Amino acid sequence: MSVLDKLRLDGKVAIMTGAGRGLGREMALALAEAGADIVAAARTQAQLDETAALVRAQGRRCLVIPTDVTDSAAVNAMVDATIAEYGRFDILVNNAGGATRGMNRPVEAITDEQWRTGIDVNLTGAFYCCRAVLPHMMRQGSGKIINVTSGLGVRAGRNNIMYSTAKAGLINFTRALAMNYADKNIQSTLILPGIFPHDDPELLAYWQGGKFIPVGRPGKDDELGPLCVFLASDLANYMNGELVALEGGGLAGGQVPTGFAPVVLLPEGEQ
Amino acid sequence: MAGTAFSLHDKVAFVVGAGQPIGRAAALALAEAGAHVVLTTTLRTKREADAAHACMNDILTRQRKSSVHAIDVTNEQDVQTAIEHTVTQHGRLDILVNAPDLPFAKPLPDVALGEWQRVLAVNLTSVYLTCQAAAGPMLAQQKGRIINVVSLLGERGMANGSAYCAAQAGVLNLTRALALEWARSGITVNAIGAGWTEGMGMLADETLRQQLTRYLPTKRLAQPYEIGEAAVYLASDTTDFLTGQVLWIDGGALSRL
Repeated sequence: MSVLDKLRLDGKVAIMTGAGRGLGREMALALAEAGADIVAAARTQAQLDETAALVRAQGRRCLVIPTDVTDSAAVNAMVDATIAEYGRFDILVNNAGGATRGMNRPVEAITDEQWRTGIDVNLTGAFYCCRAVLPHMMRQGSGKIINVTSGLGVRAGRNNIMYSTAKAGLINFTRALAMNYADKNIQSTLILPGIFPHDDPELLAYWQGGKFIPVGRPGKDDELGPLCVFLASDLANYMNGELVALEGGGLAGGQVPTGFAPVVLLPEGEQ
Repeated sequence: MAGTAFSLHDKVAFVVGAGQPIGRAAALALAEAGAHVVLTTTLRTKREADAAHACMNDILTRQRKSSVHAIDVTNEQDVQTAIEHTVTQHGRLDILVNAPDLPFAKPLPDVALGEWQRVLAVNLTSVYLTCQAAAGPMLAQQKGRIINVVSLLGERGMANGSAYCAAQAGVLNLTRALALEWARSGITVNAIGAGWTEGMGMLADETLRQQLTRYLPTKRLAQPYEIGEAAVYLASDTTDFLTGQVLWIDGGALSRL
């Protein structure tokens, strides 16, 4: 089998949470384009229907299951429905999440409700989904779990206290999955997307066109899907617990505000 | 995402260390994905030259162009000539994979200065030399992919591994610095972080192999192709926004406490 064939996902079934819009939709479409059938889960039926239409336009099946990932009964039902429909699944992408709860507030102003619901949607939801799928993956003898974290999960920003905490938790949750399910042929990895404004002029303005990103621009919507396909494919069978950041170079540096160090020469006679 | 999104059809790749297991696997994978691949040895040994020629023949049977430069990668002139020759021959240079590997382990009091310098030269300085030589054509194209293969000993220490660990860590941070330097020049610079892989020089000892196999979360070592094939993803046109990163392929080794 050629290396390009190994990047195909024909006959595989993938669950995408947060599949109704944005990067979740992009990743679902990329997985479908690579040959996978999709389960689109998110809260809003209308958005899921749009995603499903796009998946079906590629000739793949798409099961739409409106799901709130913070409701463990709903998550279990979603997984049961997937098994009933497809009889298997191979890939779970925990993409659902959100940064807004308690955003722009110092620690002392974050309410119990904001903290708890924020952690629930970003971290506990992924735990619920993994708990529901792992028995099936173990029975099947294979599986790939891909968790979507954030730059704020590895570095801290101002005013994103809940989100930074939850996304960091997701990273070590993934390592724990790797540690505990590696010998069951279940691989768990992380995608860290940088800034993706989805061509939204307001977001582009907010991120200043991405001028502070080393490559000089924000991410384009179609750039994340291939990474998701790669991690879901047989090419990533020995990857486990690892994080791949697609973010234009910011995490590699960030220490020099101007980007480039001024030239510093060796002392006279040292050359 | 059809396989074609990752196709490297008619791209030109330069792979250092193709006479060693991971370099060889990367070279074959790039060729399978459609690239023409110029190969070099790490050191001027007959064994490596023979292995690199065998790799070249495997690539030729896949109907891709290939050639071998039997060089010492710490020799500036060797490296420059090989890269200049590649550009003359193929008209461009799209992908540089650095996979030289010189294993070495000894208690520090016994490490001679010459040994230290040689380990640093082959594992780290060679990467500076190839990147510098590739910079000309890649900056002219405003496009390029540099992929450095490092060991997980660049991220974690190992007793008796001081020189090797230092060199590997050097490659990791060289990768990050170059990624930033060329971020607006269309050149991405990333690393593949290799876990414990069959055929790896540091794994010559059978007892260590067995201990690691028990220790690793996956309960097995990686096969060279599992490391090398990732070069196809990083080299593809889908990764313009991915730079300065290490793609670890370690079977969970770094996740483990």
